[in-house]
Amino acid sequence: MSRPHRSLATSASLRVTLAVAAGIIVLSLGAMAVQYRITARALEARQDGLLAAELDAYAQFYEQRRIPGLREAIDARSAVTPRDQALYLLQDRNGTTLAGNLPDWPQGVRAQGTLFATAPAQDLVLDGTTYRGVARDLPGGFPFLAARSLAPDAATLAQLRGTILRVLVALVALSLVAGWLVARAAVGRIDRLNALADRVAGGELSARLPGPRAADEFGALEGHVHAMLDRIEALNRATHRLSDSIAHELRTPLNRIRQRLSRLTGQDEELAAIDAEMAGAIRIFDSLLDISSAEAAAGTSGLVPVDFSALAAEVFDLYAPLAEDKGLTATADIAPDCTILGERNLLAQLVSNLLDNAIKFCAPGDSIALSLGPDGPAHRLAISDTGPGVPSEIRDAAFDRFTRAERDRGIAGHGLGLALVQAIATRHGARVTLPDTARGFRIEVSWPALPRD
Amino acid sequence: MDHPAPRILIVEDDADAAQAIAEAAQDLGALTERAATFDAGLAAAGAGDHAVIVFDRMLPGGDGIDAIARIRAAGSTALVLVVSALGRAANKIEGLEKGADDYLAKPFDPEELRARLRALLRRRQMQVIDNDLVAFGELQIRLKARTVHVGQAHVPVSPKEFELISYFARNAGETVTRMQLLENVWNLHFDPQTNVVDVHVGRLRRKLEQAAGRAVIHTDRGAGYVFDPQRDAG
Repeated sequence: MSRPHRSLATSASLRVTLAVAAGIIVLSLGAMAVQYRITARALEARQDGLLAAELDAYAQFYEQRRIPGLREAIDARSAVTPRDQALYLLQDRNGTTLAGNLPDWPQGVRAQGTLFATAPAQDLVLDGTTYRGVARDLPGGFPFLAARSLAPDAATLAQLRGTILRVLVALVALSLVAGWLVARAAVGRIDRLNALADRVAGGELSARLPGPRAADEFGALEGHVHAMLDRIEALNRATHRLSDSIAHELRTPLNRIRQRLSRLTGQDEELAAIDAEMAGAIRIFDSLLDISSAEAAAGTSGLVPVDFSALAAEVFDLYAPLAEDKGLTATADIAPDCTILGERNLLAQLVSNLLDNAIKFCAPGDSIALSLGPDGPAHRLAISDTGPGVPSEIRDAAFDRFTRAERDRGIAGHGLGLALVQAIATRHGARVTLPDTARGFRIEVSWPALPRD
Repeated sequence: MDHPAPRILIVEDDADAAQAIAEAAQDLGALTERAATFDAGLAAAGAGDHAVIVFDRMLPGGDGIDAIARIRAAGSTALVLVVSALGRAANKIEGLEKGADDYLAKPFDPEELRARLRALLRRRQMQVIDNDLVAFGELQIRLKARTVHVGQAHVPVSPKEFELISYFARNAGETVTRMQLLENVWNLHFDPQTNVVDVHVGRLRRKLEQAAGRAVIHTDRGAGYVFDPQRDAG
């Protein structure tokens, strides 16, 4: 069973966390935009207020002493006000400057409105600084200009924008980190479950997650999965126990019948045929019991180092004459000294079952090849033939008990051979695969190699 | 040399099974004795000189294969046949590893039991014969050289075929079952789906028949084979 690598980038938890974070960021951004608008308006209102107050003061001076009064007030104001803060200018009808911090009437500014009303105001740009104020022609043809710089407000707003940007960047960074952390934690815990599911799907029905369950929803999920697996395992055990019991209970009466048959005389051929049928039935039950006992034995207890090379060669030699008699070409390519931890008899039975199958299904002229050799950290046993292969419709169920192709009804057997092969392989921690072949059947079993010391 | 009737001790708590074993043993001309518990079995084994002891496993008081070491320690030279319902390959191997000379699963075929007992009794008698040459009339088997001759003619046999004929020779005249051959010649303790043994016996049989001009290995219907070079010698 191949375990797909799950990267954090494709994790659902990461996506959810990032989506939530994006929502929060958009909301914060909206709030900050509203705040910005309010601030910008307040600054504008303050600016307008200041301008109105100054104009008010000039209006009073003008009312009392006309141009000379205004000229004095502007002089006094200009003396303490740098040009980058505010602009003041009063000229006579010839364009001569009477008072102010500007030498000349700025270009492009046209006088509008009357006396010292705040409206209409206008914006003017001088030396790169924006000012807002009023330009008037006072009665008698005296051009008057009073404007306040908008630069401090613009700076404040720029600073505010900068702050908002920094907060935004920090929020994005924080949510990425939070998303990654949450995803890693969630993926870690989900991966545990996924790994468990993989092991169970691989046939390890008794696999469970170690350690205590957490009190959260992940813990609850693990608890549910465990309860489900317990149930499945119990049902599976019950099914197998039932077939074991049937096998065990029927063996005895069948054997008794055989014994009684052996005492009968006459009709020898009939008796022999019945006896052979009985032996066949008992053999099915024996196979079922063999599968169950191989499945029941877990771990490496009872396994000893076995020279698998020698054993495979021996079993091959046992079957070679059978293949030859059937007109098949059988070849073996066995690397020496492939040692594994195993149960000799079960290993022999596995090789025997596979060779038996190959011989059974092949027709004269076909060939059978057995190979055993190191394959990375494992020893790989492969048996292939040029026979009819496995029909695709039973390929997935090939290792289940009693799986037989419709096509093979005419061939002796009960569909227990590969089930036993699988059970024996599982008993040894070996992996069975049916690689695709252009022709015939190929089965590979990878055994954990015993390191030579 | 005239052998007295061999004595066989049957340690078995199930009366029916004990009866069946006793019948098989008596068929072979042996005297039988029975014990029904583990301790009684141990005591009986220590008291008498038995050729073969048939031990059950799940006995009141203990497991028969645990008795083997104690019987041996007490100096008994009896061969031990374990007959047990614990009949899976792993059980058999465990029994053989713990010193049983043979192991038969219950329920057993009486024919099979007879063949096993016969082989054990014969093996006990054979122990006194230490000979390189085993001859059956014209047929000669040289154990050290691992060769087979009929008269002057050499019969070429493969190493496995030599082991096969050696086992047959040790049990000459008696029925040996396919299971016995698989266990003793191939050291395999399972029942193959196909009777692979037949092919090997068939090949050896043809070679011997060709060399000897008559049947050497005979078929015993349903049960197995009998190696008897002199049966048709007339």
